[in-house]
Amino acid sequence: MKKIAVLILLIFGIAAIGCQQKKIVKPEQPPQQETPSHKEQAVVPQKESSGWERDRTGVKPGEEITEQTLAKVETREEPARFKEESGLFEDIYFEYDAYDIRDEAKPVLQGIAAWLLKNGKTKILVEGHCDERGTNEYNLALGDRRAKAVRDYLVALGIASERVQMISYGEEKPICADLTDACFAKNRRAHFVVLREAGR
Amino acid sequence: MRRKLKVEKVTCKVFLFCFFFSLFTLYFSLFTCEAEAKVYIDIMSPGLKKMPIAIQEFSGPSGHEVPEIVRDDLEFTGLFAPIDRNAYLENPEQPFSQKNWTPLGVEAVVKGSVRGTTELQVTIMLYDVYEAKEILRKEYRAGKALLRPLSHSIANDIYSALTGEKGIFRSKIAFVRSEKGGKSLCSMDWDGNRIVSMGLEGNILLAPRWSRDAKRLLYSAERNRQWGIYLLDFTSMREKQVFAATGTNIAGDFFPGGSEVVFSSSKEGTPDIYRMGLDAGKPARLTSSYGIEVSPSVSPDGQHIAFVSDKGGSPQIYLMRKDGSDVRRITYEGSYNTSPSWSPKGDKIAFSGRTGGNQIFIINPDGTGLAQLTGQGNNEEPSFSPDGRYITFMSDRDGVKGIYIMRANGEAQQRIIPKGMKASGPRWSPN
Repeated sequence: MKKIAVLILLIFGIAAIGCQQKKIVKPEQPPQQETPSHKEQAVVPQKESSGWERDRTGVKPGEEITEQTLAKVETREEPARFKEESGLFEDIYFEYDAYDIRDEAKPVLQGIAAWLLKNGKTKILVEGHCDERGTNEYNLALGDRRAKAVRDYLVALGIASERVQMISYGEEKPICADLTDACFAKNRRAHFVVLREAGR
Repeated sequence: MRRKLKVEKVTCKVFLFCFFFSLFTLYFSLFTCEAEAKVYIDIMSPGLKKMPIAIQEFSGPSGHEVPEIVRDDLEFTGLFAPIDRNAYLENPEQPFSQKNWTPLGVEAVVKGSVRGTTELQVTIMLYDVYEAKEILRKEYRAGKALLRPLSHSIANDIYSALTGEKGIFRSKIAFVRSEKGGKSLCSMDWDGNRIVSMGLEGNILLAPRWSRDAKRLLYSAERNRQWGIYLLDFTSMREKQVFAATGTNIAGDFFPGGSEVVFSSSKEGTPDIYRMGLDAGKPARLTSSYGIEVSPSVSPDGQHIAFVSDKGGSPQIYLMRKDGSDVRRITYEGSYNTSPSWSPKGDKIAFSGRTGGNQIFIINPDGTGLAQLTGQGNNEEPSFSPDGRYITFMSDRDGVKGIYIMRANGEAQQRIIPKGMKASGPRWSPN
């Protein structure tokens, strides 16, 4: 009986010691680098608590910290294809989150169509804009729908679709920055730019 | 006589039981010893108590700066409670002694030394107070200009030693800065330091998206009245136009392999989502409703795409397979949900939903688990950190559109760029 008791105690003892030797999780080790110019290490003297074995896996090789320096990028500027003329036509406005043409806008668009019919060698660029309350990407898409709605209306008035170019600026080019309903309303617009072939 | 026999039988049974029990325990404990190392902090456990940690001042020049950065990094994780230095009983020069820390309840101690002024050599030691032993000792070398990345590397190694997880402290955030002259593409440390411009300018610049290997950025720029999608390669620092067409073209996201991208284009009439190989150059249309489809975000495993569509009458978040099939709506609350962004862990999608102002929400990919994370001002364009534990976003709560970060549960919201600087479109690097 005594022998069995001793055996049991021994087994418990082995189990306990076995768990002491567990390793701490090591992060990925960078490969050890040979640095001949490396200065001697001034290692802080280790005051070891008695009875604990120094865990050799806790000592890491030295790490050189490097970072890629970013050179500046050159942006290629492309030559403009058209000569632009702004201010000939007033802006038209849209309801919040909407892209349908309002009644108040129709006379302006009719005026643009009439002018385009008289000036057959020009094109017009429709800019679609939004107020800043939506999110940037969705507003770009909404501005795109606004420009397209204007294009479709002009086409319905007899203008060839190739003469109406479109671009959306979303909320990126507001004409006022106040956080007021009046300013928001001014930003929800389509703006018109006359395009003449460069050199004419 | 009988009584003695009976007692012996019982005691024998007890001993036999104890014998087998201890064998079982031995087997089990050896098994777990082999398979698992000690985990000081289990970051998956709910209701976590913060680990009290002491980060002593380091000896030598910059002996103050390095541990400050380490402390700020560890504190932001929400897993550590750095103890005030005024309470310390042990000086930085004194060797570690358990008896100096146990009374304060400190569980881990960081000590270090800095040598050199232009070329720094920093040695750190991390001690486990309970077991009274050193669990990490490491040396780092860097030029003085890289003091911050060096400190962040130290924080990463301490974080790994104590949680078993990879730290994110050397990660970056790309974003678009607005100045009087126009917009520029910039990059900074995740904590808002060391802002650098990449020199790219455009009348308008949008939506920088990192490739999974962090070597390239995909973005949109309007130049000369046309929207194009561009790729910036960091190794060559060259810009390449990968897509241009009449219409509004907005950069979306990379697929995991890095050779394919998704984007939105209105070249066929209304904004739709396209998939394209960067070398092949011929885009395949994935969506084609009469409405707007925009803002595609690829899942970490590359199998699904989250995107925004207003085909239901208002902008909402949808999921589809990478080939455009199996389209499912996942947001049903609120009338305006946009800007979806997958967590790199694949378990959550963050987005911006309008409830009065725009707020950051998270949701599970199956549409359950909706949670609102922000409450003030307008908050848009969320992007997760590489480990999925933090989110960067744009907020105008201070009056000007700026870049903010927070933990993915909404805690610790803070601006990281200087006050007054106008910026948007933040995107956390993948590593």
